[in-house]
Amino acid sequence: MAETTSNADSLDVDLRATIDRSLRHPVMFFFSSGAVWLALSIVLGLIASAKKHAPDFLSCFSFLDAGKVDAAHMSTLTYGWGAQAAFGMLIWLMARLSRKECTASGIILVAGHIWNAAVAYGVLCIMGSGSLGPWFESSGVAGMEFPGGVWVVLLVSFIMISIWSLIQFQVRDAGHVYVSQWYLLAAMLWLPWIMVTAWLFVFVFDGSPLMATGIASWFKGTVFALFFLPVALASAYYLAPKVTGRPVYSYNIALFGFWSLAVIGPWVGMQKLAGAPIPQFLPAAGAAAMVMILIPALSVGVNILRTVQGHGKAIALSPSMRFTASGIVLFVGYGVLSFALNNNIGLKVSQFSYAGYGLDILGLYGVFSLCAFGAIYFIVPRITRREWLSRRFIRWHFYLSLYGLASIVICAVVGGVFQGQGTEDLTQPFLTGARRAAAYGWGITFAWGFLLLANLFFCLHLLLMWARLGRRSSHPTLLNKHHAESPHGPEGEVDNYGSATI
Amino acid sequence: MDHTRDNPLKRFAAFWIAALLIASFAIACVILRPMTHGDVTTIYDMKAEARIELVSEARAAQEAALNTAGLEKAITEPSDNLHKQVPTPGSKPLVAPAPAETPKEDEKPAPAE
Amino acid sequence: MTFKSFIFGLLASFGLPWLVVVVFPFSKMRALEPAKFEEGDRKGQAYSPMRDGRVNEGSKIYGQEGCYHCHTQLIRPTYAGPDVHRDEWAGLRLTADNPDTRRETVPTDYDGEDVAHIGLGRVGPDLSNLGRRLDHYLKGRDLTPETWLYLHLYSPRTNTGYVDKDQEIHSHSTCPSKSGLFREIPAVQAGGQALPLYTPEGVAVIPTDRARALVSYLASLKKDTLGAPLPEAYNLNPTAPTKE
Repeated sequence: MAETTSNADSLDVDLRATIDRSLRHPVMFFFSSGAVWLALSIVLGLIASAKKHAPDFLSCFSFLDAGKVDAAHMSTLTYGWGAQAAFGMLIWLMARLSRKECTASGIILVAGHIWNAAVAYGVLCIMGSGSLGPWFESSGVAGMEFPGGVWVVLLVSFIMISIWSLIQFQVRDAGHVYVSQWYLLAAMLWLPWIMVTAWLFVFVFDGSPLMATGIASWFKGTVFALFFLPVALASAYYLAPKVTGRPVYSYNIALFGFWSLAVIGPWVGMQKLAGAPIPQFLPAAGAAAMVMILIPALSVGVNILRTVQGHGKAIALSPSMRFTASGIVLFVGYGVLSFALNNNIGLKVSQFSYAGYGLDILGLYGVFSLCAFGAIYFIVPRITRREWLSRRFIRWHFYLSLYGLASIVICAVVGGVFQGQGTEDLTQPFLTGARRAAAYGWGITFAWGFLLLANLFFCLHLLLMWARLGRRSSHPTLLNKHHAESPHGPEGEVDNYGSATI
Repeated sequence: MDHTRDNPLKRFAAFWIAALLIASFAIACVILRPMTHGDVTTIYDMKAEARIELVSEARAAQEAALNTAGLEKAITEPSDNLHKQVPTPGSKPLVAPAPAETPKEDEKPAPAE
Repeated sequence: MTFKSFIFGLLASFGLPWLVVVVFPFSKMRALEPAKFEEGDRKGQAYSPMRDGRVNEGSKIYGQEGCYHCHTQLIRPTYAGPDVHRDEWAGLRLTADNPDTRRETVPTDYDGEDVAHIGLGRVGPDLSNLGRRLDHYLKGRDLTPETWLYLHLYSPRTNTGYVDKDQEIHSHSTCPSKSGLFREIPAVQAGGQALPLYTPEGVAVIPTDRARALVSYLASLKKDTLGAPLPEAYNLNPTAPTKE
């Protein structure tokens, strides 16, 4: 490509290369170990779902008992995959946006290993309660199944990972502050705040058992709304202008979207305790907040989709853009579904049915994970200086993910609504609702199979890149159809990044 | 590198500001400790109240019904009499004096604890 | 937006719900004044239903086994759901032998437990009054509630399944078989502990201590008004029928 860069630009390219090099090991570690946890969590999800309609499936293994495997599935999905993908995105995005290289990658890497060890221990505690002795017992708290001490270790290792990014932001060069930076900053403060609060009030302070359950439920809700969502949105706000070469549609809408999430987010979670003998305003506030999540969802959706409007080609060609745009569209869908399932009428059928699970998976997989995949497909070539090996793997990952996710969410929500209605309908015995759910349960189990396939491709592809077996090329791997001549141009050395926008 | 904004001192300060911000809600928990700790009135305490009241009432009534004067007399008088008597061979068995006057409704006082 | 104003905004937008949703309710709920009876022969006394059995230990094991994923323990007030009227979940219906004992859940129902197992889903029935249902339907049969529970946990689909009011046994249960809670020992050592199961010659199945604690807890789940009428402050239900 033509060297049209001036001296300043080439310094900039060097700076970016330096930043990427400094972060290579921690970020690749987070993404790779996250991908492995994701595959494991999907297997566990498949087993958990199967146990609900085929309870004798794998019943010879007591560590895979229904109940334990449900908890293990959500824990590995959230803390094994979700958290680590978020960490990788967070440290790379903040470093690039603040234009500071990372000087603490050794510490971050150690902290990452500690995080992994703590999660592994926690999962062993969940699955081995009662059969591995007194050192391996889960807490029994819904939403915080890891034993009490594990939460402290997770909190400390998170601080060791993220504090450097907080420093990078504060010592950045004067200039425009990007929307993504506000989201990342907030996520890095919100997570320790909610973790320390939940740990203290559930495990340390002596109080009513009802409030222990309530605060654990609050924690589960706010971990999504105040950590995973901001990191996903930060990534989307970075990639959309970067890939299309256009500025964000409206900075004001972006600020509004951020602050509306900041104001609404901390109230979520308690709607799962509607009708419990706790102060009535608590679940009401939780439900109202879940209903109002539609506001930041619409703001961000409009903003990002307007930014990429007219650039359909970029979305079609760029793997990062495809995943990110899908994630943002699904965020709007999440807002609408949350509105439907948490208002007065919807909450009655969704509170104790599969529908709530469907919403959670839409959030964790549909919104967060798809944005995370978009970020990973963008970041990994830059830090490994290799390009993705196979367009086909990426396409299969994309389509199987969308199909699997859509099936899970639709089966869970529709099945859940029927299940909820069946349970609420007093003219029918309880068994009616339970039977209806079983039919949709089969759908969910098969859908997890598709997601497993999708993520096996992803995991394999990522591990190959981690082993530095990617393509040496300065042309990115794009999802275009077969051309007579290779769209990638002649293969070349990877010493420059070519076009700065892709 | 822009030395006015990024130098080791600034980084040091930034580290501690970040640490303070992260710890802010833990500090808030410590400040609000009185709200989350401290003794509470439990069912046990409420039942204990009723129980303690009943026991105090019973004990007070027992105290009041205890005739200490009569008790003193009933012990010291026979013992004095017995002490004064001198045994002689072949005499009739001694007759113990009658017990002291006690109020009608009370039973014989229980031995002092 | 400067860093300072951002931080103030974040502290305020998080701090208010933190106080209102977490701290204040926690401090209020931990110090609930026990409710007192206002009328009748218990006037002035505090409401204190007792629970028998190994509640704390059993509750912990219930949580570790993950039972809350498929079972709830919450009878919601009628504005939130019709649980009170469903299938003996809330207590016993009025019959010739017993009054109507159904009621909603009140805060003292979880006393003794570290965490209230409200539950995440209803793949299986609500368990608030499991102990009551077992006592009621097993009356006159030569099966104790504890034994029924052991058999159910060991093999939900073959041995006893779900017992309904017509004394029929259903095997629709999708409850997992928690065989890890039981041990097989030589029949000669089992004595009275052996469960009434069809086992190979010379082998008996006995519950482990974990199973005993869990079953003790499950059999203690009797959150209705039988033997423990509610004080006025908690009694939010309309008057229960006194005639059949």
